[in-house]
Amino acid sequence: MKILVAVKRVADANVKVRAKADGSAADLANVKMAINPFCEIAVEEAVRLKEKGVATEVVVVSMGDKACQEQIRTALALGADRGIHVETDVDLQPLAIAKMLKAIVDKESSELIILGKQSIDGDNNQTGQMLAALAGIPQGTFASEVVIEDGKAAVTREIDGGLQTISLSLPAVVTTDLRLNEPRYASLPNIMKAKRKPLDVVSPADLGVDPAPGVTTLKVEAPAERQAGIIVESVEELVDKLKNEAKVI
Amino acid sequence: MNAVASSLSDATLNAIKALLGDEQVLLDKASLEHYGRDWTTAYDPAPAAILLPRTIAEVQAVVQLANREGLALVPSGGRTGLSGGAVATNAELVVALDKINHIDNFNALDRTVDCGAGVITEQLQNYAREQGLLYPVDFASSGSSQIGGNIATNAGGIQVIRYGMTRDWVAGLKVVTGTGELLDLNCGLMKNNAGYDLRQLFIGAEGTLGIIVEATMKLTRPPKDLNVLVLGVQEFAAIMQVLEVFQQKIDLTAFEFFSEKALQKVVERCELPRPFESATEYYALLEFETLTEGTLDEVMALFEHCVEQGWVIDGVISQSETQARNLWRLREDISETISHWTPYKNDISTRVSKIPEFLIEVEQVVSEHYPDFEIIWFGHIGDGNVHLNILKPETLDREEFLRQCSRVSQWVFEIVQRYGGSISAEHGVGLLKKDYLGYSRSEAEIAYMKAIKAVFDPNNIMNPGKIF
Ligand SMILES: Cc1cc2nc3c(=O)[nH]c(=O)nc-3n(C[C@H](O)[C@H](O)[C@H](O)COP(=O)(O)OP(=O)(O)OC[C@H]3O[C@@H](n4cnc5c(N)ncnc54)[C@H](O)[C@@H]3O)c2cc1C
Repeated sequence: MKILVAVKRVADANVKVRAKADGSAADLANVKMAINPFCEIAVEEAVRLKEKGVATEVVVVSMGDKACQEQIRTALALGADRGIHVETDVDLQPLAIAKMLKAIVDKESSELIILGKQSIDGDNNQTGQMLAALAGIPQGTFASEVVIEDGKAAVTREIDGGLQTISLSLPAVVTTDLRLNEPRYASLPNIMKAKRKPLDVVSPADLGVDPAPGVTTLKVEAPAERQAGIIVESVEELVDKLKNEAKVI
Repeated sequence: MNAVASSLSDATLNAIKALLGDEQVLLDKASLEHYGRDWTTAYDPAPAAILLPRTIAEVQAVVQLANREGLALVPSGGRTGLSGGAVATNAELVVALDKINHIDNFNALDRTVDCGAGVITEQLQNYAREQGLLYPVDFASSGSSQIGGNIATNAGGIQVIRYGMTRDWVAGLKVVTGTGELLDLNCGLMKNNAGYDLRQLFIGAEGTLGIIVEATMKLTRPPKDLNVLVLGVQEFAAIMQVLEVFQQKIDLTAFEFFSEKALQKVVERCELPRPFESATEYYALLEFETLTEGTLDEVMALFEHCVEQGWVIDGVISQSETQARNLWRLREDISETISHWTPYKNDISTRVSKIPEFLIEVEQVVSEHYPDFEIIWFGHIGDGNVHLNILKPETLDREEFLRQCSRVSQWVFEIVQRYGGSISAEHGVGLLKKDYLGYSRSEAEIAYMKAIKAVFDPNNIMNPGKIF
């Protein structure tokens, strides 16, 4: 079985991102970048399926400017077999990404496509679902467990207030939730081996997709600052403030 | 020299209250216990009163009064000290600097800022960050320790290999000496060879020469893109070879080590993933600044070299800030993790090059006499500073364990002496190690130290009984 994994380059989860002064976008100059945490989980799951002998090949794809190759190399160091970089400077949005993924799935005849449920920058939670629709194949979103058996994928989904297990016929799209697995570190010997693994670069045009965005960002602003706490002198004062200022009791 | 009143007369107490105001003098039992001890637990606090001066003039007035009345003073910061330096067991007056905590006169060109002694270390770190700069002295207790206490102990921490100790960040110092005189030392100058640099004497003096009231602290550019590497090695000596080759090429901000035993305990109790599958005897944790793209290539090349030489078995590098933090936890969570086994602890140093032999000797002597003792090693190996920890065997009761450990201390300090090392790398002498000072300092040195103390504190009122 061939697995395709999509990874996105995003600002590191631990970086405090600020809005640009003109409010046009987040300011990413000199910000540390990393693989989107949900995509990292997707890579780990694919690699585990390969280690179990379920998958024969894990192909990792990332889209964006040249720097994305860093994240592809990381995924290769984690155990993916080869990489595809769709190089473009255009601001990519879920629909364009899903269209390009669809083209790659067709070309690669991938049987399982694993993606993060969302990226921590755009927070769209759309790409996996759009890809499944465009490709006309089943989807298992928010996966916390994936078992491949008898040509089917049993996916346990994290839903409000519980878990739901569904069975998908392959090929299928799976999007990962946080509890699916704990990703490993990239070992240095594997990082070195990853340098010799194949990485193809293609353009959106090669895939027959126009990546132009359909949505325009009007404004990006930081959340309101939390006010500093105060220390009250007595229980009476606390009750008074809760009653008359905060108006919660 | 030893005229210390055992308890306060009403007249004295009234005089103190007249100087500071009633509210700045604490006498209740809870406050006496709270302010009378530091992080050590071996000593029973018994101060006479707690004083909270609000100005430098008030500190001077207190010291002058203490001289007149023959009262002993214990300067007190965040009381996170690990040697009993801030402990008051003998009816002393504790002078807590908490209320002298202004941060002002930031100068972007000089890259300095003035801090009251009572500023919490973390407040200075945050202040620096707001200016786009860094105050680089950092350790696990920085949320409670004070700048005055850091200077009085010359605190180190996890990035000494790159940034040095607290001493390197003090551009100016205001101190009230044991006579009550205010000295303004060095005034923020970079260069000042006009006579003795008295500032340096007060740094690391553990409050025995005077009270630090204000400091001009240096700040620096924050590092760019820190990455963390954890390497597995089988032989301890290989860690030093790794250090040597990396230091030649890379600007390390940290070089720490820990043993497989330490790692097992942390992984188990903190539910952290192991860095890699192979288990090796020791691990080195390196942190470095990624200044250019070439840095990472250089690091990879060095790693390959270390593997080819047979020094390193396996290794990982952080791929994100989250991973960097988790890798750091493998080292930083050790102390807390092993506290479960009420360990014996010792903080010692030798020259970096002598560490491997030193470690083996200590290990031999301990396991020869006490084969049941489990030894956990970790520390700032790049600075020649190791933390020796011995876990209490479950079957041994605490008293007996402590008795056996005091024999261990004796042996360890004898080895330290033979290696020309230090009985206290970072944590000072205080009460805890004063009986062992002779293992690191000659009689002549100690005599000079006492003579210097007599100059600044002729009536021996400043933290008497500490260090020697
Ligand atoms: C979890 C933990 C981790 C630690 N890690 C490290 C580490 O990595 N590196 C390290 O070096 N230390 C470490 N320490 C030890 C301790 O935090 C440092 O020694 C710190 O500098 C003490 O500062 P403090 O304000 O708490 O001083 P205190 O404990 O209050 O006092 C320490 C000494 O300084 C004197 N003193 C305090 N304030 C003044 C003043 N204004 N003027 C004159 N004398 C004064 C006191 O009399 C005493 O002798 C650690 C401690 C803990 C609890």
